[in-house]
Order: sequence, then C-alpha cells, then structure tokens
Amino acid sequence: MFGFKLTTMKNEFQSKLFGFICSNLIILCIIGINRMLHVNDGGVLVFSEFVILPILMGIISAWFWRDLNLTSGQRVGYSILNGSLAILLSFIFLGEGMICLIIVSPLIFAFVITGTFIGKVMFKKKNRTLNVSLISILMLVFITDSVSEHDHENMVGDEILIHAPADKIWKHVVAFDKIKKGNDYWLFKIGMPSPMQTTVTGYQLGAGRKCIFSNGYVFDEKIVTFDVNRNLTFDIVHQPLDPEIMGHIDIKRGQFILKDNGNGTTTLIGNSWYKLHVFPIWYYDIWAESITRNVHLRVMEHIKELSEQ
Amino acid sequence: MNNSVFHFTVKWLGGLKAVPLLGQVFDSCLKIYVSVLKPELLDWIDEIEREVCSWEDTTVGLHRYGGTQFNYRQKEIGHIHSNGILDVRLNRKTKQLLIQENKVKAHHVFKRSGWISLYIVNKKDIETALTILRLSYKRVSNG
Repeated sequence: MFGFKLTTMKNEFQSKLFGFICSNLIILCIIGINRMLHVNDGGVLVFSEFVILPILMGIISAWFWRDLNLTSGQRVGYSILNGSLAILLSFIFLGEGMICLIIVSPLIFAFVITGTFIGKVMFKKKNRTLNVSLISILMLVFITDSVSEHDHENMVGDEILIHAPADKIWKHVVAFDKIKKGNDYWLFKIGMPSPMQTTVTGYQLGAGRKCIFSNGYVFDEKIVTFDVNRNLTFDIVHQPLDPEIMGHIDIKRGQFILKDNGNGTTTLIGNSWYKLHVFPIWYYDIWAESITRNVHLRVMEHIKELSEQ
Repeated sequence: MNNSVFHFTVKWLGGLKAVPLLGQVFDSCLKIYVSVLKPELLDWIDEIEREVCSWEDTTVGLHRYGGTQFNYRQKEIGHIHSNGILDVRLNRKTKQLLIQENKVKAHHVFKRSGWISLYIVNKKDIETALTILRLSYKRVSNG
C-alpha cells in the first residue's frame, strides 16, 4: 500500500517535472531552429514568439499534467513558474537583458496560463481532431508571422514650459552637465539606464554629440539641424550594444524645438524617432513610448532647472 | 475591484471579444488577479466544475469570450468567468422569480434576455450556483 502510494507520488512528480522541462525544451528548439534558418534576418522578435509560443508551451505542459487533477490555483501557479523558467532560459541562452525580461513577463505569464487552460480542456475532451487542428493553426500562424515583413517606426513628442528666454536655454539644449537629481521613473529606479549627461564637439552643424547614460553607455549623435535658439536635430549614428536595447529598438533621431512664447517664457519640445524590432506593437509600443517619454522628461526637466537658475 | 475592471472591459472594450483568444487571455489575467487576492474563489469554481461534470452528458469547454463553459452535449448550460461571475440562461419566468428572491441579477450585458448573472463572493454561493445550473441543465436537456 505504502509502496503503491510512493510510486504514484513519484509518477506525479515526474509528470509535473516533464511538463516544465519538455515544454521549455520544445519552445527553445523552435526558437533555435527559427533563428538557424534566419527567418528574421534583422533579428526581429515577432509577435508569435511572445504569443503563439507561450500558448503552445502551456498546451504542452497541460498534456503532461492531464492526469494530475490539478486545481485551477495550481495550474496558475505552475504556469507562472513555467513562464519564469522560460524567462530564465531566455536570460541564459538568448542573452536578453533583465529589464527586457521584466517588461515581457506579463505577456508571457498571461499567454502561458491561457495555453495551460486551453490544454486542460483539449486533453479532457480527448478530442484529437481539435488538438491536431488547433496546434496546426498555431504553428501556421507562427510560420506565417515569422516570414512576414515587420516594420514599425514611431515618434514620441513631449513639451515643457521654461521660465527663461530661448537664448538662455539653447546652450543647455546642445549640451549639459551631469544630472544629479534622483530618478522618479520606476524602470530607472530598478536599474534601467537613465540619461546622465550630454557632451558636444562644437556648437555647429555637423558637430558630434554624445548622450551618456547612467551605466556609462554612450549614444553617438551627429547634429543635422543647428538653428540657434530654435531647432536642434541630431541623428543617432551609433547606439550602445546594450542587451536591453540591442535588437529590440533603434533610436533614429532626436530633436529639441524651442518656441518663444513672447512673455519671457519658452516652450521646449522634445521629439524622438525610433524603430521597434519587437512585436506585438500593441504591447511593446506602450513600453517604448513610456520609456522614451521618461528619457525626454528627465533631460528636459534638467534643462529647465539649469535655465531657470 | 476585479468586477469593476471586468465591467469596464466588457462595456468599453467589448468589441475586441471577436479577436480569437483575446477573451481567454483576459480571463487568464483575471485568474492571476484572483489567485493573488482571493485564491479560494478559484477553488470554488473548481468545485462547481467538478459537480457539473458529474451530471450525465455534460462536458466542459472554453467560453468564446473567456471563462469555463458547461455544456449538455452541444448546448450551453452556462459559463463562469474567473472573477466568479456565473452566467446562466433560463426562461424569463424563472429569471424574474430568482431576481425577486434576490438570488441573482440580470445578466451583466444582456439585461432584457433570459440570461442571469450570479456573483460568487463566498462559499455559500456555490450551492446557489449549482441550483441555477441544475435548472438550466434540466431546461437544456429537456430540449
């Protein structure tokens, strides 16, 4: 009796473990094969990798857990654990940055849980036709999405009112000393690099500009519009090889526009153009906009402080 | 709080329910929320599911707009969202009677239909949920 119970417990443990290991291994293999075949030459992370594969991962684990009589609470917990394991493997094998993984985690958890509960119903019904057709559709969507063209560019603009004339603000727009103020934005607080300082090789068109971040990474820029007291536009000519941004986002161009309000105040407008390499847009663009906005505000508030002194 | 998020989503983002799997993903988010703040609710839903599945010719499936659906053969008996809202279709007379007894509310979207909603907030509601589902089961199984 005791031996039977022990064997059952051992089998249950094995099924649980296989659910975690096999689902992660299969997904890792699919990603590996996808990359080996250079389906996305530009290193674009398509939406399927964050949507279809986590669903598939949940379904695979549900197959291993089909006879375990797990409660819904356990399924949710195990799915989160499974998603966390996938995130850890992405950190180890795909070299993803920690902040990126924090950003991606809600998406992974939601879709792995969805897959687990789809799997629960699929394997309960023993409806093999449905199982084969659903998995085929998921794989078809994955392949189609992998070979499709992905391109998304966006511009984020912010403005701030400064109680100083444009000529007093201009020099701080072109270059500024270290920002000493602490970070307010939660992602900067947990370790995402924030803008610290900007240097310039000359106050003229074509001059080189460097935007230095808190972790020492530098964005090399070239001034392409130098309209004194009105417009400073610069192209990003080289961005750092930081795993948090590498292959995920390209910052293309930055711009500061100064508008004289005619009453001793100036409206400073900051614009940035970027290209996203991670999909789905409806998820990642929210983050990209939020991060860009907070980079803008940190720099613009510093310029405001320097100009109003 | 989770019910207000649910109602806001249904009211303002309801059009998105046509997107395949989006309802299920939303329900998964509800599951995460509930498993953190009221984990016992998921156990109560499991209890209801277990009981309904023990009835003859019943199966469980995924509701197209998110949640667990109970079927008698191919016909729907009712469905339950992971925030504890049970939706069941009854005839109007039974619906009125149950509303008068203060046991259920009109459906959270289709107020004028025969659908009712029961908000499962404590363990005692399991009994009411099963009584209502049994009424629907009898109605559906009798054709």
